[in-house]
Amino acid sequence: MMALRTRLARFCAAAAAGALLLTGCGSGSQDPTAGSTNVAGSLDGKQLLTIPREDMGTFERNFNPFSNPDFPMTQQAIFESMLIFNPADGSTTPWLATDWEVAPDSKGVTYNLRDDVKWSDGKPLIADDVVVSFKLQREIRGGFDYIDTVTAVDPHTVKFDFNKPFSPALLDIGQQVIAPAHVWSTVEDPTAFANEDPVGTGPYTTVTNFQSQSFDLGRNPNYWQPDKQKIEGIRMRAFAGNDGANLAAANGDVDWAPQFIPNIEKSFVDKDPEHRFYWFPPTGSMINWQFNTAKAPFDDANVRKALSMAVDREQVTKIGMQGYTIPADCTGLSGAYDSWRDQSVVDACTWTKRDMEAAGKLLDGAGIKLGADGKRVLADGSPFEFDYSVGSTSSDWVSVGNVIAQNLAELGVTVNVAARDWGDVSAGYENGTFDSGIVWSAGAPTPYQFYSGMMSAQTVKPVGEQTFDNYHRFGDKRADALLEEFTAASDESEQKQIMNKLQALFSEDAPVAPLFPGPEWGAANTQRFTGWPNEDNPYATLSVRARTTVLVLTALAPVAG
Amino acid sequence: MGFILRRLGFYIAAFWVSITLNFILPRLMPGDPVSRMVARLQGEIRPEQVDALRRSFGLDDSPVLVQYWHYLAKLFSGDMGFSISRFPTPVTTVISGQIGWTLLLGFSALIIAVIIGNTLGILAAWRRGGFLDSVLPPILVFLGSFPYFWLAMGLLWLFGITLGWFPLRHAFEAGTSPQLSLAFIGDVAYHLVLPATSIVLVSIGGWLLGMRNTMIATNAEDYIVMAEAKGLRSNRIMLRYAARNAMLPAVTAFGMSLGFIVGGALLTEVVFAYPGVGYQLLQAVQALDYPLMQGLFLTITAAVLLANFAVDIVYVRLDPRVRAN
Repeated sequence: MMALRTRLARFCAAAAAGALLLTGCGSGSQDPTAGSTNVAGSLDGKQLLTIPREDMGTFERNFNPFSNPDFPMTQQAIFESMLIFNPADGSTTPWLATDWEVAPDSKGVTYNLRDDVKWSDGKPLIADDVVVSFKLQREIRGGFDYIDTVTAVDPHTVKFDFNKPFSPALLDIGQQVIAPAHVWSTVEDPTAFANEDPVGTGPYTTVTNFQSQSFDLGRNPNYWQPDKQKIEGIRMRAFAGNDGANLAAANGDVDWAPQFIPNIEKSFVDKDPEHRFYWFPPTGSMINWQFNTAKAPFDDANVRKALSMAVDREQVTKIGMQGYTIPADCTGLSGAYDSWRDQSVVDACTWTKRDMEAAGKLLDGAGIKLGADGKRVLADGSPFEFDYSVGSTSSDWVSVGNVIAQNLAELGVTVNVAARDWGDVSAGYENGTFDSGIVWSAGAPTPYQFYSGMMSAQTVKPVGEQTFDNYHRFGDKRADALLEEFTAASDESEQKQIMNKLQALFSEDAPVAPLFPGPEWGAANTQRFTGWPNEDNPYATLSVRARTTVLVLTALAPVAG
Repeated sequence: MGFILRRLGFYIAAFWVSITLNFILPRLMPGDPVSRMVARLQGEIRPEQVDALRRSFGLDDSPVLVQYWHYLAKLFSGDMGFSISRFPTPVTTVISGQIGWTLLLGFSALIIAVIIGNTLGILAAWRRGGFLDSVLPPILVFLGSFPYFWLAMGLLWLFGITLGWFPLRHAFEAGTSPQLSLAFIGDVAYHLVLPATSIVLVSIGGWLLGMRNTMIATNAEDYIVMAEAKGLRSNRIMLRYAARNAMLPAVTAFGMSLGFIVGGALLTEVVFAYPGVGYQLLQAVQALDYPLMQGLFLTITAAVLLANFAVDIVYVRLDPRVRAN
């Protein structure tokens, strides 16, 4: 018994030490002096597009498009959606559907499918495929609660009826990937079906080689845009962490590097500036500093604004995010919603710019006065001191917290950076026991979901009840009214007007302190493939997990000779 | 025989304790798998999808004792459920797919370290104060005190990146598939060199010192003096008289190391992106993937217990004193 216990203890200690070392050796450890690039294989035009996957040490074959989390390339190269929304330029590209029509009362939408699309097994794409896909998606992954019925009107027309007006549905439904009904309707247990030889409409559907550390996808013989299948195929390679993937990128062994690379100029681009580039558009989800508004004094908008004003966002993005993103403004909208942003709200913005004097006045007004020792005290005499929760593995967000703590100390407010295990932190968020913390926000094609999660009174759950939305527990009935108006508005200019009002309301309420939009990491090498999206040609982001990835896959061309 | 049965009883009890711990420990961790996943995928899972996720994962809300009963029943039918972080892949598939590589890396490194380490230990003790004895132990202890990953990164940088002699990652060349051909086996061996060397370098010192120290004690025994007095050849005394008797602790240590191979050389696997269960374990813990965690821990404990049992049996053969009581 004794021996077993010590052995177990020794093992656990080793495992824990391993985890520590892993995070410890996470940054800046690779500085390969090998300046030359070594591209594997010759450039005969048949080279495979090589992409690293940094968070999977090994691959288990599973091309089920309804699996959560989804397997690499399943929703990018194999299965496609009816339309594609590109957050980098705000455009919408018709894909499996040619056009669509929103019902005048916003209680439905009808999509017309292309009639020249074939599945990789040669059968045509029909409306029934869409019907079955939505049935499976709702059964297995959930969501789409606003859909009442999905009907195949004719083989190329599919009609969605909602149980309430819901205009954001157009992009939401349009971006769902479609699976073939003739395969999936006979699958016994679709949840556990590994779909090893997938039938899809995407450009690269043929699994030509599958090994635990790499797999190759070849062309779909029946693709509906054969002229866009310029590359021979895709090769995914597994890495058990960023370090290995970054080394492969620095060494020129991969063509695309969608993972975070620290100090990318020096460690990646400088090795071959002629061919290598990176582009980090601020189109990720907005990263916020949230306060538990169920706790005083965070229920006071002026207190939240004062705290937000004390934060030096330039310093936060420079130190915490290595300068790879931009400070947020009072609309709280990330770069993905630039087309919705109301410039007048941004111009009138006060509380996302650093202003210590105004912040001090706001706190004074809220009864949080400076004490004799230079620290602020609450009305009841207790010091104004609270925790900033963050997952300890997110080292960048921990640094953000340290900057905030320093900034706030100047205001006389004590912020303790409480870096704990993410499971612990998110449990605190879900049950409403936290003080304040850093948090991501919902990602969706329209800002509707963002504002709903930020300000809708309907999403507020009492403290102690688990929630996965609106962790900060803030609700404003006016926001609910505007959101409802928005869902009923089918006209674009009307939608814009309502969204402007929501932005003004966000600026007034300050439900959270938006810090910066998360950058969409992406770097690439033009030595073997050309046609990448970049800042001047933002037809997609450089993400390999987004819906826009297929736009890149169908645009790239191999370099030959 | 009685001895073996007693030991067997002990191992069965130990196994029961470990599978029970295996059940309890993951449940003591903060958070539940679904909220962990929401936190990990940051914004990719919509709040309204959470319920469906919980359902499809088959997370059990029944009383703990009932869960425990289900767990035992499933375990004995060889069903460890689905891995949550790699849903819907069964845990057994995840483990069986990777464990071969872990065993290959672990075994080859262990065997090489044991053979070289013990041989050097025997020689060092036999020529006490000689060149081997005064130079090797300090160097190897110095190397052995390096953290695994540090040495691994050093090797990777020197022989992989700067000199380009060995591949930087993975178990075999991408685009090839496992087959029984000389070319493929050569490729696997080629990819194995750096990861195995990093483990051998770190562990060899322990074997050398252990063997050397027992050998020195054995060398002072009367029967060695007797053998020398009889005029036997030096090599024969060293191997057949001294080393043979000094082997016992090494056998125990070998058995224990054998069990720990299954745990995987986590850091080596990460640095060289080598496939295996070590990294899976870390990932399973981070993702609160209970079923995968339990499967891995179970495999590791079973391997440790089996290896120990095997050592016990070998001991009965090697050491008559064990048989006597």
